[in-house]
Amino acid sequence: MIFQCQDLDRALATPELLPDAREHARDCPRCAEQLFLWAEISRLAPQLHEEWDSPTLWPRIQEALAAAPKSRLPRAASFWRWPLAAAALLTLAWALSNPWRSAGPAGPQNRQFLTQDALREVQQAEAAYSRSIDRLSALAGPGLDQSPSPLAALYREKLLVLDSAIADLQQNVQANRYNVYLQGQLASLYREKQRTLQEWVENANRN
Amino acid sequence: MVGASQLALTNPIPRAGSAVTVAALEELYHAHGARLKSVAYHIVGNRQDAEDAVQETFLKLHRALPGFQGQSNIGTWLCRIVINVCYDIARRRKRETEAPPDSPGANQQIALRVDLRDALGRIHPKHRMVFLLFEVEGLRHSEIAAILEIPEGTSKAWLFEAKKELKRLLTEARQ
Repeated sequence: MIFQCQDLDRALATPELLPDAREHARDCPRCAEQLFLWAEISRLAPQLHEEWDSPTLWPRIQEALAAAPKSRLPRAASFWRWPLAAAALLTLAWALSNPWRSAGPAGPQNRQFLTQDALREVQQAEAAYSRSIDRLSALAGPGLDQSPSPLAALYREKLLVLDSAIADLQQNVQANRYNVYLQGQLASLYREKQRTLQEWVENANRN
Repeated sequence: MVGASQLALTNPIPRAGSAVTVAALEELYHAHGARLKSVAYHIVGNRQDAEDAVQETFLKLHRALPGFQGQSNIGTWLCRIVINVCYDIARRRKRETEAPPDSPGANQQIALRVDLRDALGRIHPKHRMVFLLFEVEGLRHSEIAAILEIPEGTSKAWLFEAKKELKRLLTEARQ
């Protein structure tokens, strides 16, 4: 191959052409300089690595880690969180996208809505759940609120999520009092809260 | 300098579902901190910001580690985080110290001597990043490809472009 100056870039990309490039560079100062620079770049590059002592950096990171909110709960804790949050979101989205259904008590032709009597029963059931939950909350008491154990933290967080979902649903129920689906969802959240408190109380009694 | 082999650290890495202890993070810091600082330095341009970037990297790691599924090497992952953090810092700094528009003749005021370090700061950022990781920090193309989420062939091509740009700048500086 007759190597010419314009072949140099191609040679740099193709190691097989480099011997020809070097041969050519013997009589071509310009290409010789280019080859020299090419090699120098790789030779000098590792010297650009910056290294310096940072005796305070790790302590700073440690401090920041300590101040950071706890990153996670154990895996068991997150197991229920997303399905629950998703269910609450779906419920809210559904409720918001069907505002016409809350126009008032439904006629007998529409089975999606409660009758006055059924609504009264639901409200009684809700009141019963509330009483039960209040009793269980009192039993769980300071043990649950103040315990530093990860298990208590897990229960506290679960109850917070449930309370938040219940509050959201209650708002929707206020506007859609005869809606069977919303009332059903609210009841299931009450049941879940009741079950959670019961579990905690039983665990506490066992220990 | 930290060798490339250290990136493939095999020390116990906290996995999803396990507790992330400060001791585990400290081990990662000692294994990867030096390289992370150097990479950060070359993006943000000063040691203080580089250290801030490394600190932020470990905070992000702490938050994200429980979700780490081991799809990539932890060193690769740390590098990716620090690069993203540095770009954020660099963007913030750019906004904070918005440079005044070049006055006429500003180019003439720029020092004529362009050594490799200066030239590196003037090439295309994505080419610079590959050059930095390959030539300066000694990573393999497969690792760079994982960090930058590009094909290995692209990493090789960008390295070539980086060296071509650097050669051109150094040639200009020598004339």
